[in-house]
Amino acid sequence: MDGARSVAAKTDTDKGAERTGEAPPAPRRRRGRGRIAAAVSVFGELLITVGLVLGLFVAYSLWWTNVLADRAAHKEGDKVRHQWSDPGPGALDTKGGIGFLHVPSMKNGEVLVEKGTSSEILNEGVAGYYTDPVKSALPADAKGNFALAAHRDGHGAKFHNIDKIKKGDPIVFESKDKWYVYKVYDILPETSKYNVKVLSAVPKESGVKKPGRYITLTTCTPVYTSTYRYVVWGELERIDKVDSKRTPPPELR
Amino acid sequence: MYGWIWRHLPGNTWIRALISLLLVLVVVYVLFQYVFPWAEPLLPFNDVTVNN
Repeated sequence: MDGARSVAAKTDTDKGAERTGEAPPAPRRRRGRGRIAAAVSVFGELLITVGLVLGLFVAYSLWWTNVLADRAAHKEGDKVRHQWSDPGPGALDTKGGIGFLHVPSMKNGEVLVEKGTSSEILNEGVAGYYTDPVKSALPADAKGNFALAAHRDGHGAKFHNIDKIKKGDPIVFESKDKWYVYKVYDILPETSKYNVKVLSAVPKESGVKKPGRYITLTTCTPVYTSTYRYVVWGELERIDKVDSKRTPPPELR
Repeated sequence: MYGWIWRHLPGNTWIRALISLLLVLVVVYVLFQYVFPWAEPLLPFNDVTVNN
């Protein structure tokens, strides 16, 4: 019985195929509906395209910019290290980078530090020290605040794990001949992006009153946005001399 | 739209598929190389500094 039914169905569809094969002239109403259907399908395809482009943009921001930035930072870092080990003729080129930041609790190895916090600089996968709106001090200065910024996501995301830093954690800045060992003493998990006071030579918001040798890390928060700023303050604990083998201080071992 | 492109590509199904793939790659390249780097600073995701 089943077989008979399927045979019947088959002949039915065959007949149908034959009928469409003859291609009778489509009635006018159907052509109008076809046009609307085409418009709807183009609109649908545009929506799908927009979705795909946005997806690609996320991939670009969170993955591809990291690839590019890490590559650039690696190259620059090698250049700085090479210059340190073999200064050669000519004056020290400070444009490339002044040293490396090591924050063990961020678990991201070394971060090259360059001058300036414009996006062209930070997009190279480095941390920049502020020149504007506040002129940052340098670690070698007798007093002042060494204020840095870096990306939280994308472009190397060098301060992505800034929320993993706890009070008392070490921050080490490596220059050509010194290890500057700072200790984190205060954290501001959320502040306005206009709060430039966090960069002051004596950052009062962190509770200090006297001039000293401070370090400030700033980045955006919450992750994947830049609504607020996350700030970490540290104070210089000691300075170690770099030996011939560049043995890192105990904090980094 | 995509149907129209498909119909206007030359060759058989395999050649069309190959050309489509190349077109997709070209589009992705242009987006990553030119469009996204241009669009990114205009979007409020990547400001990390404090400023006035």
